[in-house]
Amino acid sequence: MATTTDPKHPSRRFSKETRKQLAAIGRHTVLLIWSFIVLFPLYWIVSMSLKPPREAISLPPDWVFLPTVYNYIQLAAESSYVSAFVNSLVMVVSSVILVLLIGVPAAYILSRYDVPKQRDVLVWILSSRMLPPIAVVIPFFVIFRALNLYDTRIGMVLMYITINISLVVWVMKAFFDGIPETLEEAARVDGATHFQAFLRVTLPSAKPGIISVAIISFIFAWIELLFGLVLTNNRAVTVSMQVYQFIGVRQIEWSLLAAATTVIIIPVLLFVVAVNKYLAAGLSFGVVIKE
Amino acid sequence: MNTPTQSEVRQGISVARLRALWNDYLPYWFMTPMVLMMLLVTIFPGIYDLYLSLVHYDLSSPSTMGSFAGLSNFETAFVSGDAVHSFAITIAFVAGALVLETCLGFILAALVTGVRSERMQTFYRVTFILPMAVAPVSLATIFRIMLNTEVGVIPYLIQTYTPFVAPNFLSDIPLLTVITIDTWNWTPFMFIIFYAGLSSIPDTLVEASQVDGAPLWRRYVHVIIPYMKPVLFVAILIRLIDLLRTFGLVFSLTRGGPGSATKLVSINIFETGFKFVDLGVASAIAIVYLICIVALCNVLIAVIGFEGVWD
Repeated sequence: MATTTDPKHPSRRFSKETRKQLAAIGRHTVLLIWSFIVLFPLYWIVSMSLKPPREAISLPPDWVFLPTVYNYIQLAAESSYVSAFVNSLVMVVSSVILVLLIGVPAAYILSRYDVPKQRDVLVWILSSRMLPPIAVVIPFFVIFRALNLYDTRIGMVLMYITINISLVVWVMKAFFDGIPETLEEAARVDGATHFQAFLRVTLPSAKPGIISVAIISFIFAWIELLFGLVLTNNRAVTVSMQVYQFIGVRQIEWSLLAAATTVIIIPVLLFVVAVNKYLAAGLSFGVVIKE
Repeated sequence: MNTPTQSEVRQGISVARLRALWNDYLPYWFMTPMVLMMLLVTIFPGIYDLYLSLVHYDLSSPSTMGSFAGLSNFETAFVSGDAVHSFAITIAFVAGALVLETCLGFILAALVTGVRSERMQTFYRVTFILPMAVAPVSLATIFRIMLNTEVGVIPYLIQTYTPFVAPNFLSDIPLLTVITIDTWNWTPFMFIIFYAGLSSIPDTLVEASQVDGAPLWRRYVHVIIPYMKPVLFVAILIRLIDLLRTFGLVFSLTRGGPGSATKLVSINIFETGFKFVDLGVASAIAIVYLICIVALCNVLIAVIGFEGVWD
């Protein structure tokens, strides 16, 4: 029996201190259970990729095993996988550079000027995210075939830009709003042109925002499956598509599949850990920043 | 000393003039690429979808290609096809996932905000957002392996350590499985936004209600949740939009099956358009879907109002 009673509230069985401790224990129990739910599938796929094929699917599982890079060597020999990986990397990185070149200047203007119908413009930009990609992709499929953009890297880069443009404009506008205009004005008084002031003063201050929005854009393009499925055939195949095809064709080679999956998850996981501070602002288009 | 030739003078003037043009109209130069891009990605697909939905555009029958179809595409999809069924599946999927992700995300965010140790808080925050980084197709691979009836670890654990018989997750309870996996994948999104919102609540507000001796649930209902309202609404709106876009995860997990048990609208459009190559009918479904989504979003934005959220 608990004997300590809270003097202020005799009806309560435990003192304030004890209750706080109990609450903390309960809190951590729930949080650790969720951590386990989150980490277990990730651990499972990575550990599977490090086991020899036969051991990978043995049940009961071998919790202790000697890791091997056998599956990764197999994977590297898979030329279709390697070329899809390189393809994705080239296309996604170029799309991120372009989307920044298009989106950041526009966000700057939306932040600094009284653009007519500003709110409507911003909602319009957001509306590009409301359109389901499947509806967008049909017109592009027809037009890409007419313009010989079907199954090209240029076509895919264009589609990746469409995924991220609203994100870049919204988040960067919020960032520019937070940078005081006075520095820029001082530079202009000293004789810098408007463009120079933007380039040398405002842009460097927005660097953290640009980096995080670039990484988030990278992730969204990197994990995209539908555009690759519809708009490519073999020359511009993406890594997601390649893994998707593995699921169908090579059902049996579980450990190779695990390695292929691990390779496309790990870089993104690292990015997410790196930008976790900015993630909320990025994902919610900057609306959470209001302090 | 050399005097500048006439052509050099002319060149100098034109460069200066170009520079002036660049600087004087900077806002226009800065906005134009974005506006063009937006026209391309919003207006163009909408109009083109509408056009395609009104003509015969069946790639397998070139004879009727491009001829006016009236509303027959809509009839094929909604009256004789299973488009209505796919809308119902989508509503069930979106509602289930949205409710689960919002509740779980909020509870986890509230619990993590209360963690005293800075280190543990960072550990939880970073761990909890990891699932978001997993591509839909990788996620599908992971769970197809883990849920497999022969080699999967989850059925094995259930059979071995619980009295229950493990169902075949992807064929016995496909929609529930898909919702659960989406919850694993996207609760982090709700978590991180609610966490940011909760951390921005001024301490004084919480302290004041603590001094009053208000019990925990009252503090949430009367102080914290009203304060968080804009953040809650925006998170729910954005998650709703993204759930309606879901394709990759469900497609690579079940391909819409078994039968059409998980055939979301986006999968239905994909199959109609790119498996049965009837882009006219696919566009008809897409147009209806587009109208529903845009209407829904506009109603929600009108109800929420962006007042105090962005300006």
